[in-house]
Amino acid sequence: MRRIAFALLVLAAACTSEPKAPPAVLPEVTLPDLSRTEKSVQEQIGASYQSLTSKANDAEAYGALGNLLLAAEYFDAAEPCYLHAQALAPDDPRWPYYLGHVYMSRAMPDKAIPSFERALQLRPGDVPALVWLGNLHLDQGQPDLAEPLYEQALSRQPGLVAALFGLGRAALAKRDYTRAVDRLEQALSADPRASIVHYPLALAYRGLGDTATAESHLRQRGSVEVGPPDPLMVALRDVLHSAAAEEERGERALNGGDFPTAVSHFRTAVELAPDNPSPRHKLGTALSLAGDTRGALEQFQETVRRSPGFAQAHYSLGVLLAQSGRLQEAVEHLSTAVRLDPEFAQAKYGYALALAQMKRYEEARTQLAEGAALFPARREFADALARLKEGRSQK
Amino acid sequence: MSGKFYYAEIIGPGAAMFDADNDGDLDVYLVQGGSIDSQATSPAGPGGRLFRNDLVINPDGTRTLRFTDVTERSGIRSHGYGMGVAAGDFNNDGCVDLYLTNFGPNQLFRNNCDGTFTDVSRQSRTDDPSWSVSAAFVDYDRDGWLDLFVGNYLSWRAASSMPCFGPSGRPDYCSPNTYQPQPSRLYHNNHDGTFTDVTAAAGLAGDFGPALGVSTADFNGDGWIDIYVANDGQPNQLWINQRNGTFRNLGLLSGTALSAHGKAKAGMGVDAGDIDNDGDEDLFVTNLMGEGNDLYINSGSGLFEEQSARSGLGVASRAYTGFGAAWFDIDNDGRLDSLIVNGAVQTIEALRRVNDPLPLHQRKLLFRNLGPSAGSGQATRFEDVTARGGAVFQLSEVGRGAAFGDVDNDGDTDVLVANNNGKPRLLINNVGARNHWIGLRLAGGPGSIRFQADARPARAGRYGNSRDMLGARVEIILDNGMTLWRRARSDGSYASANDPRVLVGLGQSTRAPRVHVVWPDGSTEEWSSVAIDRYTTLTQGSGK
Repeated sequence: MRRIAFALLVLAAACTSEPKAPPAVLPEVTLPDLSRTEKSVQEQIGASYQSLTSKANDAEAYGALGNLLLAAEYFDAAEPCYLHAQALAPDDPRWPYYLGHVYMSRAMPDKAIPSFERALQLRPGDVPALVWLGNLHLDQGQPDLAEPLYEQALSRQPGLVAALFGLGRAALAKRDYTRAVDRLEQALSADPRASIVHYPLALAYRGLGDTATAESHLRQRGSVEVGPPDPLMVALRDVLHSAAAEEERGERALNGGDFPTAVSHFRTAVELAPDNPSPRHKLGTALSLAGDTRGALEQFQETVRRSPGFAQAHYSLGVLLAQSGRLQEAVEHLSTAVRLDPEFAQAKYGYALALAQMKRYEEARTQLAEGAALFPARREFADALARLKEGRSQK
Repeated sequence: MSGKFYYAEIIGPGAAMFDADNDGDLDVYLVQGGSIDSQATSPAGPGGRLFRNDLVINPDGTRTLRFTDVTERSGIRSHGYGMGVAAGDFNNDGCVDLYLTNFGPNQLFRNNCDGTFTDVSRQSRTDDPSWSVSAAFVDYDRDGWLDLFVGNYLSWRAASSMPCFGPSGRPDYCSPNTYQPQPSRLYHNNHDGTFTDVTAAAGLAGDFGPALGVSTADFNGDGWIDIYVANDGQPNQLWINQRNGTFRNLGLLSGTALSAHGKAKAGMGVDAGDIDNDGDEDLFVTNLMGEGNDLYINSGSGLFEEQSARSGLGVASRAYTGFGAAWFDIDNDGRLDSLIVNGAVQTIEALRRVNDPLPLHQRKLLFRNLGPSAGSGQATRFEDVTARGGAVFQLSEVGRGAAFGDVDNDGDTDVLVANNNGKPRLLINNVGARNHWIGLRLAGGPGSIRFQADARPARAGRYGNSRDMLGARVEIILDNGMTLWRRARSDGSYASANDPRVLVGLGQSTRAPRVHVVWPDGSTEEWSSVAIDRYTTLTQGSGK
């Protein structure tokens, strides 16, 4: 483990009022074991760390290293960086705010709460800090402490979904179902995409005895999260230059339907980690969705060349080849996908369809029958089998 | 560990406490993995081990525990990469059989009632080739024969294993979302040594996730046993028995599918028990680090409220990845406490920083039930007593399975912990003896309708042909009017099989309590006085 040869900084507490001031004796800033990380990340973090030697009194330098480590999910290592930054710039609300997130990630609510409180002291009414602090209290079974924080956030930003969601959940925790319904309905009205709201809303209706409405909301429930607008945390998304970070950015763009941006991020990820099949496979998918079939085929082919055991890539390649009329090649790749993963239902179905397209009906029938037995919940196997039989009888 | 981040190597193992030789004490089966080689067609390993309990009760009442490895002579030859184990007498001959879940085909071993077992996997048609982890014997159709529910996990193959990376690009174990979940299976017992896969017919095929934990109990109080499945990263299922051979998933409406927030968590271990002594089965599910474990309190009708925050169980578990867990009365005070076995599934960076060769290990957690607290709206509160639990609670290990049972027959619940890549631990309870207790073996079954799969003379167990009546519920009425509800079960926890006997703490009460039993077939019987501080067998048909 590498260590900075700084003596421990002993700083006078800069803030005398409650909540608690940062610790007087600060822990050493050390780097995590970066030996297995990507080279680009090693270089980025290493350079940031080295810069501390010439910027020993620069809060920004410590904060920047903390940001890199937090983005890379080295939470333990990020903590002392932010503590140093906080000690050097005690009036800057960013550092206790990031510390709050570090402690939340480390499941240390007893430290996260005072950190967010300190951030709020430095930037009163900061909406993200109010919401995160409210969430922490709610998670601790303290809805009474959470509610005024959400209310304050709401007063500063009317219609804020995260605050309404928090207030709804707090009311639900207190079994005030009427109020919970009211707040959660408001949250959904403010952002109908926030599908996670449907679940607590359903439970609130259930509490009121309205099972039909509860079931209706359960059918609509999803996983789209509700968080406060959070510029400081959003900024962290872009600090790390790694394949995994680029892949994540690509996925965000892909999910948002922005295929050219997705292609760009996945391409960068492939450049950074050419042996990792995942971003290359996603690049193929993004290219395909962007309409570049040829480019997609190239990426899928390269993926299976480098990772012949990647069943999903064989499947994607097989589907694209079938769509391009290259049935013989499609069948080969789809059969490989099935061989590699016999429980890969989509591949088995795609394989059967490709066989049928090639008029290899008996083989298609065998695949469909096996699929119907193996995946009884998937009706498409039985349906296709019936269609195949129907076609034969008509002949 | 292979160093190749093979997914299967971090999921097992489980362990079983069951009376293999019908001598009245709990023997032990330890599941083992082995090595996974992407080139090999099936994983290789030493196989699980069966240990006979040679318990000696000394004249002064003290116990001497010793175990003997009897695997070779038992005939248990496990193959595949072991994950978990379930125990139950599927052929009603009075001897407990063993079902092994594997990464690879599962195995069913019929107990021959003579200390040996026969592999009947293929002939019984339970050799599910999927990757299974937890399983449970359950008489869901009340015909007196134990059926089998097998929780299946993911579609993963070593040969097609994909590398996964953290945000910095460091390799790590994948998340379950990387692979396709596999449908669980319900096998109906045909009463002739074979089973029929009724997954689709029972309505279970359409809704499934990566199953890791299974608990069976009557959650809606209608007298029919239901099935709860904890899924890894997807909504859990609560399969409510429709009393006609089919089930309906009411996980979402019941409030047990997701966290209070509405998010699917990484459900691992699970157990059901009446933690608030109100006569219904509450649920506890262990989850991933950062998520916290969930406590679902039953209203009595099968509708639940998630109370992990209010109870104190949620926040205290957030820093851990929980696996095996159970409700059991550690101090015999009449309230169900909890022990949770932890171990991460992704590298803990703080351990990696100090070059720990196995940077997944975590401490266990022990919670004491404090009963209802006025300050929390009468919710049951738990106190974290890990620090007072003894030296073993300071050990940091990669915990997975945990089997709960009274291994030394002294009237309190001991715990067998199965560690991944480490020694098992047998935790002997030293606090239960401070209070009084009753121990019940709930026995019954068709008895005379015995199945003989082969021409050999049929043998019977120590208790004749009666078997443990898994799923039977017991109401214990104390002299102070207090009523406790418990149930006979061997399932729950994680990939493990528990002592099917019911052990009930009585606190300082010295009066023999009245006991009311609800048998799995719905019939009820009562015993007006059951002796305290000893085990008693209550056989169906012998009460009032």
